[in-house]
Amino acid sequence: MCFSGPVLGPGYHRHCTGGGRCAAKHGAASMSISSTINQITRNARAAVGQIGGGSDSRFFHNTSKKGETHELREELQSQNKDKKRDAVKKVIANMTVGKDVSMLFTDVVNCIQTANVELKKLVYLYIINYAKSNPDLALLAVNTFCKDANDANPLIRALAVRTMGCIRVDRIVEYLCEPLARALRDDDPYVRKTAAVCVAKLYDISPDMVEDRGFLDVLRDLICDSNPTVVANAVAALSEIQETSGQDVTLITGSVLQKLLAALNECTEWGQVYILDALSRYQPADEVESEGIVERVTPRLQHANSAVVMSAVKVVLGYMELCNPDVVRTLTRKLAPPLVTLLNSEPEIQYVALRNINLIVQKRSAILEHEIKVFFCKYNDPIYVKMEKLEIIIRLASDRNAEQVLLELKEYAQEVDVDFVRRAVRAIGRTAIKLERAAERCINVLLELIQTKVNYVVQEAIIVIKDIFRRYPNRYEQVIAALCENLETLDEPEAKASMIWIIGEYADRIENADELLDSFFLDSFLEETPQVQLQLLTATVKIFLKQPAETQALVQRVLNMATEGTDNPDLRDRGFIYWRLLSHSPQVARAVVLGEKPTIADDTFALEPALLDQLIHQLATLSSIYHKPPEAFVVRMAVPVGHVSGGVGEEYDDDLEYLEGEIGAIGAAKGPSKQAAGSGNGGGPGGEVDLLDLGGVDEAPPATTGGKDGGLDDFLGGGDSNGGGTAGSSQANTQVDRPLVCTPEQGGGIGIRAALRQEGGGIFCDMTFQNTGPTPLQVLAIKFNVNTFGITPVSPQIAFPAPVPQGGATNYVLPLTFAPSMVASGAPPSLQLQTAVKNMASGHVFYFAIPYDLSVLFAASGQTDRAGFIPAWKAIDDANEVTTLAGSLPPAFSSPDAVVSKLGSRHVAFVARRPVPGTTQESLYFSAVTVTTPPVHFLVEITLQAGVASAKLAVKSQSQTLAPMACAAIEGLLRN
Amino acid sequence: MSGAMSSFFILSPRGDTIISRDFRGDSLPNAAEILFRKVKFWDKGDAPPVFHLDGLNFVYVRKNGLLFGATTRFNVSPSTTVELLNRMAKVFKDYCGVLSEESIRKNFILVYELLDEMMDFGYAQATSTESLKNHVYNEPIVVESAKSNLRMPKINSKTTPSTAVHKPITISAQSGGKQKNEIFVDILERLNVLFSGSGYIINSTIDGCIQMKSYLSGNPELKLALNSDLVIGKGGGGYGAVVLDDCNFHECVRLDEFESSRTLSFFPPDGEFILLNYRITGEFRAPFRIFPTVDEVSPYKVEMTLMIRADIPESNYGANVQVRVPMPRSAIAVTTEIARGGGAGLASGALATSGQTSEYNASEKRVVWNIKKFPGATEQTLSIKITLAGGGVGGSSTSSSGGSLVNSASTGSMSAGGTAPPPGQLIGSARKEIGPVSMSFEIPMYNVSNLQVRYLRISEQQKSYNPYRWVRYVTQASSFVCRVGTGSER
Repeated sequence: MCFSGPVLGPGYHRHCTGGGRCAAKHGAASMSISSTINQITRNARAAVGQIGGGSDSRFFHNTSKKGETHELREELQSQNKDKKRDAVKKVIANMTVGKDVSMLFTDVVNCIQTANVELKKLVYLYIINYAKSNPDLALLAVNTFCKDANDANPLIRALAVRTMGCIRVDRIVEYLCEPLARALRDDDPYVRKTAAVCVAKLYDISPDMVEDRGFLDVLRDLICDSNPTVVANAVAALSEIQETSGQDVTLITGSVLQKLLAALNECTEWGQVYILDALSRYQPADEVESEGIVERVTPRLQHANSAVVMSAVKVVLGYMELCNPDVVRTLTRKLAPPLVTLLNSEPEIQYVALRNINLIVQKRSAILEHEIKVFFCKYNDPIYVKMEKLEIIIRLASDRNAEQVLLELKEYAQEVDVDFVRRAVRAIGRTAIKLERAAERCINVLLELIQTKVNYVVQEAIIVIKDIFRRYPNRYEQVIAALCENLETLDEPEAKASMIWIIGEYADRIENADELLDSFFLDSFLEETPQVQLQLLTATVKIFLKQPAETQALVQRVLNMATEGTDNPDLRDRGFIYWRLLSHSPQVARAVVLGEKPTIADDTFALEPALLDQLIHQLATLSSIYHKPPEAFVVRMAVPVGHVSGGVGEEYDDDLEYLEGEIGAIGAAKGPSKQAAGSGNGGGPGGEVDLLDLGGVDEAPPATTGGKDGGLDDFLGGGDSNGGGTAGSSQANTQVDRPLVCTPEQGGGIGIRAALRQEGGGIFCDMTFQNTGPTPLQVLAIKFNVNTFGITPVSPQIAFPAPVPQGGATNYVLPLTFAPSMVASGAPPSLQLQTAVKNMASGHVFYFAIPYDLSVLFAASGQTDRAGFIPAWKAIDDANEVTTLAGSLPPAFSSPDAVVSKLGSRHVAFVARRPVPGTTQESLYFSAVTVTTPPVHFLVEITLQAGVASAKLAVKSQSQTLAPMACAAIEGLLRN
Repeated sequence: MSGAMSSFFILSPRGDTIISRDFRGDSLPNAAEILFRKVKFWDKGDAPPVFHLDGLNFVYVRKNGLLFGATTRFNVSPSTTVELLNRMAKVFKDYCGVLSEESIRKNFILVYELLDEMMDFGYAQATSTESLKNHVYNEPIVVESAKSNLRMPKINSKTTPSTAVHKPITISAQSGGKQKNEIFVDILERLNVLFSGSGYIINSTIDGCIQMKSYLSGNPELKLALNSDLVIGKGGGGYGAVVLDDCNFHECVRLDEFESSRTLSFFPPDGEFILLNYRITGEFRAPFRIFPTVDEVSPYKVEMTLMIRADIPESNYGANVQVRVPMPRSAIAVTTEIARGGGAGLASGALATSGQTSEYNASEKRVVWNIKKFPGATEQTLSIKITLAGGGVGGSSTSSSGGSLVNSASTGSMSAGGTAPPPGQLIGSARKEIGPVSMSFEIPMYNVSNLQVRYLRISEQQKSYNPYRWVRYVTQASSFVCRVGTGSER
């Protein structure tokens, strides 16, 4: 609750509880009030004066002058502390408005050597900004950070660690680990809480390092810290790592659970949210444990912070499943007041609460069944709140409160906001469909609304009355007369269609149904939307079947219009069907057209039970706002370490341009064949120009290119992978069906599936073409963009032995080769081939990408002998070693033999094995080499523990960039 | 799942980015612009405060005309994000004195410093004004409040201007010894009341809170006592007891003595904070009653009489009372007249119309009636005369070509396109378009619920420590609405 609006009371009244002393004070108070205020103002001015008069905004002035940089530099080097500080402020001011002040970086960083904390913080403010956008520059100051991480002042120690964590480059890791390890054990809680978050930062850059250094264990210990913020940050960091890695790092066990529950009372409000969310993921063992946890959580329902309340509601609802009925009843009672209280908060909080309540009442309507009044809309609610309340009113409507609900809805139907009014009218209809006993009253209200003659109200009412007729056939037809009075005012397709449906359905009860249709709708038949046309057609046929004598001419006319007068295939088809039915046998037609219709049901509880259950588990998250499972919208884009996003995008654009040029060249070379294909278009001169006209590169929209920063990097991860865990599995599909790489929409009627395959040392692309376009498919030109291994088709042309007819599909094997000229040097390695295909018949060019697995490229000759292995391993720099922990492998792979045979079958050659001394582990060594030119060698070490279905992989290669891919590929092999 | 904020920004009402911070490097560079465009040009009405666009989730709140926005890639708890944005607004306000575009712009370095202390890697850190004080070094730059001292109250020993609270917290801390030890306590109640046309209360709630702003040096422990017969939870309590449906407390509050003596003890944090929120739905006496009556004088003339009675003690008054009445769309002329003499037999009759204005705003089709000071136990009346379209033309109703129906006896006269509907219908629909009457007001030194602060003490009384305690009761209208009856119903 917030009273942020200006409260213009007459002022404060002194509260007199202190007796005589207070009275004596009054005189003095009158003097001191005005004088104190003056005093405050004076103080403030004086304070400002010290800084230099005016305000921070003055730092923005004079920025366009020449030599400003020089001036700033001199000021930064000044001995005067205040001058120095002002100079840094000016630099920051420039930076925040987007000016480049990186040339002053060293000068600013030099200012860090000061005992003045304020100045130091300013410098850090500057560096933190650069740490994100310009990490290399920030790295220059790394020695200073390391020094400050040992400062006597905890504030400085924390600042140093915090800033280092923001520098998102690999190299920072080596500097960061030591200070971080120290900071995690610092005496000062401010440093510890900063370090806890820093672990999450480090995990983002180098997850292995976090695990190697045992930082996760430290985080788990910090859950029991004495300081609430440290606890909050530790839980937050663990939660994030859990989510990004997919591993259960919090591993709630009995003791951790007790820690978390104890921390719940000690923690900051934000920490409580994290803990409650962690608890909601926990599966309690039994009823007793579940009730125990709920008991500890319920006091959180009284918290002033709505986030804590929402998360507590989520935990309680989740655990309720396991509680006994008595406890459930008590909890049901306890949940209502806090939920209702949320509706008295700011509209934003209300909105979030309402979307959640929408789910809650679907799951457990008992909680709020007596509270319908609180969902009645207030006059000044924002529209998004009103709409949500309306939904909940319908969900809570029952025979008991129907009267009240209807009166309320009727009021809404007369408000000003058109959208809200429409929804209110619909709500009346939905109430009628839901509550049979209230249906008649609903109809009466709708009729009253129709009498207001407000155009959109009338149309909306007609739409819902049609639904009511479907729900309760042959009960309320007496209202048709009133509806027919409004035929002329209908101008919305849905309302028109509804009215026409009603006329057709009840043609035998409306004396002049044919005239009504004829005079109001048929003249404009050809201009109507398809929805209305279809209804008109059906309604006319119905009328004809009911009154054949008078309406033969009418039906003839409509059938003619429907079959000959329009291009709409649906309408034409339906017209023909009716026509044939009628001419074949009117009895059959009657049975079909006038057959019994299933009555419609209440759609208020529209969410699928499975989806609802899923969403209930996602209460108090964005999922519950969108009413979609998280997979549907969370696309966490892992920004690659060390790459500033802008650069990647630009590089990519260049490639596209290049690609475009190449395609043009192919087109030119194959020009004649295009003419031969005889598409009949073009024919003008400048065939080449025409070919280059690809509709603009901007428009080349293949979903695969993404067009967004980091689009490339998504592909590295192989689609929806959210961590190393799944990357392999989604790529290791060489044996699987060829994946769809290009949809017919993308390909202008050509759908393509493609997968790479190695056979006898040669690489082939198995492709399946599906033609959904109108013309047969004969010749295609194909071209790959430059790529990591220089893969390119042997022939740039795909000529099908026989044309692929419309609707047909054919397989094609495209031989590939390696060309040094096609190697993308400098670009980050990518396991996909960006492909352009041109349909030579239509001139249409489209783009897509073919993903492939690195293991496809492993040559059969990858064997390294035992003697050569060790020197080779040692010859490779340790920096090029990539390790990963592949957990939860198929159980078969806990045995070394299975691993050897599996990898062997995929050209990862076994070299040697040896037990790891002093453990039950065993290490296996493999080697692999690619068929590419030049070949790339990989050396692999896999460590297995007997009986445990997980493996530690280490891959070394001369190519630093390819090693991680090989590692992922091998992990993928082990998973499949 | 919990998760972090990706970026945060403050936008001016025109969409300029005043403050922008990227916490994790996974947002979009132009996220602020995207948000502003989406919010400004949402399809229908106001954009919901949480929405999704191309993989990025946006959350925003509005504060004093400024837009506080955040983005995230995680499936975060949206309440957390909204609460965080609210909290940031509050902290910035505490430190800058007022929350405005100017104050944020002038204090941008301070704001960035605060932001870096409040958020790390998108996770909330210290978010209370109090705890931030130890880590923040920049000094605030005071901005004069734009609408300062609209109505300066008379200086007397018992009052201090309400703008006294609009000062940044650190400035007062700075002035050290000369610092005035004072604490402001507001008991604020906002009313949501809905009357039917006949004056019967359909729905009513009180949203109340006790809000404090402490400038006490040394943050001593305080004790605040509420009504001793206070009841929490519906259905309890004897006659006259104050019954709260539900309430929640600031985290600084210790409730040890709450059950026994309804006393809260706490160490007040610096800056503004809400000690207690409460909600009441039980019966209460609405401070104003609205009685609208609508009469058809002729087919094209409608008269509305709006009588409002103040059901509060004579010693209190409603301030800045504004009554708004929407008029029918077909109204072509509206005149208003404030009734002289007020209610029957009132001593203050002569004063009744002073300080009142009423006017009809033709573009918004709305009558606005302002009453600067509405004394307790009086009545005020406004009469509104409405002339509807069609009166001058004369009701030439065209005959219809509509269908005659089996079930309807006769549908003789039917409207043709609504140009000149028959008089009876016109009045009917026009009457429905009048209203609802909505009212806004403030009643100083009065609260509806009767919740009282019995005392506010410093736990361990020292002789030298005698702070100023300013207590204020204010009742405000949140949504105070009366529907205009359609005659026969209700």
